[in-house]
Amino acid sequence: MNKTLLSQSLRVGITFGVIHLFLLLIGFNAMLGSLFADIARVKQSGSIPASIFLVLYCALLGVWAGYSAAKKEDANVFGRKLVRGLIAGTVAGLISAVVSIIFAVLVTNKIDPRKYLAVLSLDFMRASLFNLPVVQGVAANFGVLAGAGLAGGLLTALSSFSKVKHAWKNFAGLVKGGLEKIRYCTSGKYHLLFKIIFLVVLAAAIFFLPTKWGSYWNYVIGTVGIYVILGLGLNLIVGLSGQLVLGYIAFFAIGAYTMALLNAPEPHNLMWGFWPALALGVVLAAFAGILLGLPLMRLRGDYLAIVTLGFGEIIRILLKSDLMTSFTGGPRGIQDIKGPTIFGQPFNTDVNFMYLIIGGVLISMFIYNRLKHSRTGRAWLSIREDETVARASGVNTVKYKLLALALGAAFAGLAGGIFASRNQFTGPDEHALMASINVLSLIIVGGMGNIPGTILGAFALKGLPEILREFANFRLLAFGALLVVMMLSRPEGLIPSRRPTLQIPEDPQSDEENKEVSHVD
Amino acid sequence: MKAMKLLVVLTVLAMLFTACAPAATPTAAVKTEAPAVAPVDEVPAVCASDAFGCAVFAPGEVVKLGMGAPMTGGDSAFGLDISQGAFLAAKDAGDFNGVTFEVVAEDDGGSPEGGAAVANKFAADPAVVAIPGHIFSGATAAAMPIYEKAGFPMLSPSATNPALTTKGSPVFNRIAFTDAIQGAFAANYLFEKLGVKKLALVHDGQDYGKGLVEVVAKEFAALGGEVVATEAITPKETDFTAVLSALASKAPEAVYFGGYTTEGAILANQMKQTGLENAVFFGCDGTYGADFLERTGPNGEGAFAVSLTPPNTEAKLVFDAAYEAAYGSKPGTLSPFSWNGYDVTAALISMVKSVAVVGGDGKVYVPRGALVAAVRGLKDHVGISGTFTCQENGECNASGPLFVVVKDGAWVPAP
Amino acid sequence: MNESVPLPIARKGSQLLKYLRPTFGVVVLLFILYRLYSVLVIRHEYGADTWTRLLITGLIIGGVYALIAIGYTLVYGILFMINFAHGEVMMLGAYAGFFVFEALKSIKVSSEPPLNFSNANPVISIIIAFAVGMTVSALSGFLLEKIAYRPLRKAPRLVPLISAIGASIFLQNAAQLLFSPQLRDVTNPEILRRGIGWKILINGSNVIIPYTGVFTFALSILLLIGLYIIVRKTKLGRAMRAVALDKKTAALMGIDVDKTISQTFLISGALAGAAGVMWGIHNGLVYYFVGFIPGIKAFTAAVLGGIGNLPGAMLGGLFLGLIESMGPAALGINFQLKDVLAFAILILVLTFRPSGLLGEVLSEEKV
Repeated sequence: MNKTLLSQSLRVGITFGVIHLFLLLIGFNAMLGSLFADIARVKQSGSIPASIFLVLYCALLGVWAGYSAAKKEDANVFGRKLVRGLIAGTVAGLISAVVSIIFAVLVTNKIDPRKYLAVLSLDFMRASLFNLPVVQGVAANFGVLAGAGLAGGLLTALSSFSKVKHAWKNFAGLVKGGLEKIRYCTSGKYHLLFKIIFLVVLAAAIFFLPTKWGSYWNYVIGTVGIYVILGLGLNLIVGLSGQLVLGYIAFFAIGAYTMALLNAPEPHNLMWGFWPALALGVVLAAFAGILLGLPLMRLRGDYLAIVTLGFGEIIRILLKSDLMTSFTGGPRGIQDIKGPTIFGQPFNTDVNFMYLIIGGVLISMFIYNRLKHSRTGRAWLSIREDETVARASGVNTVKYKLLALALGAAFAGLAGGIFASRNQFTGPDEHALMASINVLSLIIVGGMGNIPGTILGAFALKGLPEILREFANFRLLAFGALLVVMMLSRPEGLIPSRRPTLQIPEDPQSDEENKEVSHVD
Repeated sequence: MKAMKLLVVLTVLAMLFTACAPAATPTAAVKTEAPAVAPVDEVPAVCASDAFGCAVFAPGEVVKLGMGAPMTGGDSAFGLDISQGAFLAAKDAGDFNGVTFEVVAEDDGGSPEGGAAVANKFAADPAVVAIPGHIFSGATAAAMPIYEKAGFPMLSPSATNPALTTKGSPVFNRIAFTDAIQGAFAANYLFEKLGVKKLALVHDGQDYGKGLVEVVAKEFAALGGEVVATEAITPKETDFTAVLSALASKAPEAVYFGGYTTEGAILANQMKQTGLENAVFFGCDGTYGADFLERTGPNGEGAFAVSLTPPNTEAKLVFDAAYEAAYGSKPGTLSPFSWNGYDVTAALISMVKSVAVVGGDGKVYVPRGALVAAVRGLKDHVGISGTFTCQENGECNASGPLFVVVKDGAWVPAP
Repeated sequence: MNESVPLPIARKGSQLLKYLRPTFGVVVLLFILYRLYSVLVIRHEYGADTWTRLLITGLIIGGVYALIAIGYTLVYGILFMINFAHGEVMMLGAYAGFFVFEALKSIKVSSEPPLNFSNANPVISIIIAFAVGMTVSALSGFLLEKIAYRPLRKAPRLVPLISAIGASIFLQNAAQLLFSPQLRDVTNPEILRRGIGWKILINGSNVIIPYTGVFTFALSILLLIGLYIIVRKTKLGRAMRAVALDKKTAALMGIDVDKTISQTFLISGALAGAAGVMWGIHNGLVYYFVGFIPGIKAFTAAVLGGIGNLPGAMLGGLFLGLIESMGPAALGINFQLKDVLAFAILILVLTFRPSGLLGEVLSEEKV
């Protein structure tokens, strides 16, 4: 029993020690330290030495280590949690101490290892020793982590004994109950009333927000909106019909370039105007979807993935190549793409584009929703679940798979056209593989196959990097790590799709659906 | 039911953002309106007449210069390097009537999408007055209209797309070398001085290299030379022996390359093992630098390039030492634009200083419209990488290129 | 173990397809033949010396692709997942190799004449570099599986893929932050200096067969043969094949599935590490993005050969390398379009052989 205590705590300690080492070597502590300083607004006055914040960072890490170690304790024994926290903190502290000894040696001998490890300047290493003399610095590195580990253990132990845990449970219960209540209200007899209230609030928000929050947020949220359309389109292909497509951004490029070629002064000066160009872009993208799909209908799973990846790259390289330069502008891309007009009036400010994007999102959501709950949608689901069985039970798999590709591509064409026109620019490199991967990630992170998930995913994937801007060049590192963590903790996505099940007691859904369908017709 | 859930989510999201919006807007609103609110006698008159108003800084505040640069992804070396040069310039600018200067480097990934996002962010920040950037032409083109609306002058260290200055933008300027001039000089030099009659062209498929090569091809043919082949390589790859072998079969006397040192050095190396031993490697300003020498060794002997850096002036030596002390590597190792990063920032700061007015309240007022005009009127600014005078279209570096050649492992001015 | 079972279908869509595919194929084939004819026979653009050079280039790069592709195929064969971070595992190996050579270079053996360890004991140096590079990559592959993939084994298939993409982005940026985005030159021992090699005279022109290239190619082939023996002849190999076939049954037969999967990642990581060190030795440049493009190419190669199939990956790698180097020349198109050509041929091959050149040796679970 004691053996597990020791080995588990040791393991936690070592893990945190290694994490600490890694974060140290990429300079994360310095970045976080200066961020803390910014938050505390002491940068200018300089009254608090910067090393305090590095100590704070170490302490936080130590507490976390102690907490993680103590949490593993099953027995509700106060002392055992403390001991676990202490062990983990001590081990992490030891690792930190060893590292700081190395730093101390380098500093005293004035060896600058930056040729190999980019952030380790002498100043940085001195700061990591909290600007203390060598012995104190090493001791502090050890002491802070060990002490914080103990504190973490103590915190865990306290929280399990005191009423903290209870209070938390109560709070969580309250929130859950509240949500339940809201759900009851919205689904019960007040259904219609709530629907109207929500619609009014939503409409007001949609109408007023873009004029209020300034061009930066219009830009960011607008980009999120574009990616919602893309996500919905890809959801038709991947989420509903189950075909893994990795080169989806190629269809986006077709939409964007159609808009650019038809509606910019260079290279062709056709100036068709926004709306015809948008419509043609949608049609061409859908056509490209069919064209790509036709020879590949026999492929499944990862074979389709790599082929579509290849297709995306082919489109990108061709757009960029010498061969096509006179037609597509080559690597330079196309500039000065004109915005739309409505009744002869230009409709091209950032607010206007925001409305346009919101309109596009609403239309896409509507179409997506209708398709999903239609006969077509069920055919797609059956193909996704088992293509062989679907075929055997009379579903024309080829037709439906092509349909999914074409419709999904059309969504991308729509998004591409709006995107190019809003940015007034499009170039080959914005349609690179990474963009395809972003779209795929967003629908999976959000939760595949449902609209709220797609919206949330788009916010997470396109909004989050904007929010993470404060982290400067740690931005993508954090993004990659978050992607992994998110998949590990919520493999079904942030908002998992609920499957229709057989045990629905009164089945209001199908009634409602039929009603809506008749409305549409 | 589904629709309801969706609505709930949307509303919650919308509420979240309404919650955010008040936090963001007041600061922006207050700051931009500051000159109007302040007592009339303390606000300098220039602010009232300026088309874009003034940026106001109380003593102790920081004047920001917003640099949009690729800080992550495959091209981050450029962004990192140029921003590091710029940081040094801001540090050197020192204290100005109680305010200091800071370069804020935001990641635009080098892409138009990122460029527009960063530009919008800067435009919303009342403390940003000028833009030493962007770095890549795509991002620059996307960002330009946004700065035009906000009244921020740009001075790019490295965006070379010729179209950027042909659109009559009042805010965009650059010290990067124009492709047209360099290409014409290079073609002339190859044909007249080196006596090359058969030329092969290689570019890296990007804006910059391709633009150069197109000019060289045109000019060289006009002079009466023969362009035997034009090929493009893929940047970031490291094996170009296939392309070079194909070129070798056309027996060119020289290979002109438009692109950067990374690929240029590989080409110079691999030319020696693909039957192009006797062809001259002729690079551009992108392939100049100490890095090229280190990477090519004896293979680089006799290679040409274009230098913008006057050899070892005192200012350059001071900068080189400061750069190495601060960042641990020599300038020019990450990109050929370290010095340009310093120069654009220093030039912008000097222009800010020249137009800024100290108000009666002790605050520093920077009239934005006047700053845009001042940067366009930049004259005889002595930087590390040259002396800059902006023309009416925003080209600030129209001097003729200096050709250099590798001799005994060092760059020397070519005959 | 089934090659996609033909199903009785009689529907209009499929009827259309039935005629479309051959038509498509014939058109493309005719076009290729026409281009080949015009370049090789009419224009006679390149001499034998050029073709030899292109062949050498293609074989070398193909060998490296094959080595990386094997990693994809091994993992795919067992877990049916695309290990998107495989290219980054290779990048870590390349960095390890670089650091070893730097360290050995700095050890002075004698000062007069100046001689460092790496030149004094080139063979030992190279062995150390490969040992360290392969170990680092193997360990990172192992950890990757343990942290990012193992908890997701029961999740839907796309989830581990996204996790892998996240890991790939993370590793790339971690390397950039750790080692700076600077490009590093790998200093080989003198005997493997880049750019020198055996010279043969063809058409009155010296064709160089570079030592580094021969070394790279030979080592790739050796490693691939070694792997084949492991998979075919050893107990571990048998366990791997069993797990690939059916995890449940394999577990019932007393095979430790988790352990086998871990070992698979160790092996595929080690091969990627070897590829990384070779990349450094032959191409000379190491930086944080170095694994990305070869990763994508190798993945393509694995699919081309039939993913999950070891000889297929090898064939696919070599085939892809040759297409990239000789294809544009043979068809008389710009070398910029070599990737277009490579992917187009991939699409073409998969149109007619939906499971790659050598089909697939996979369980039914995959479909």
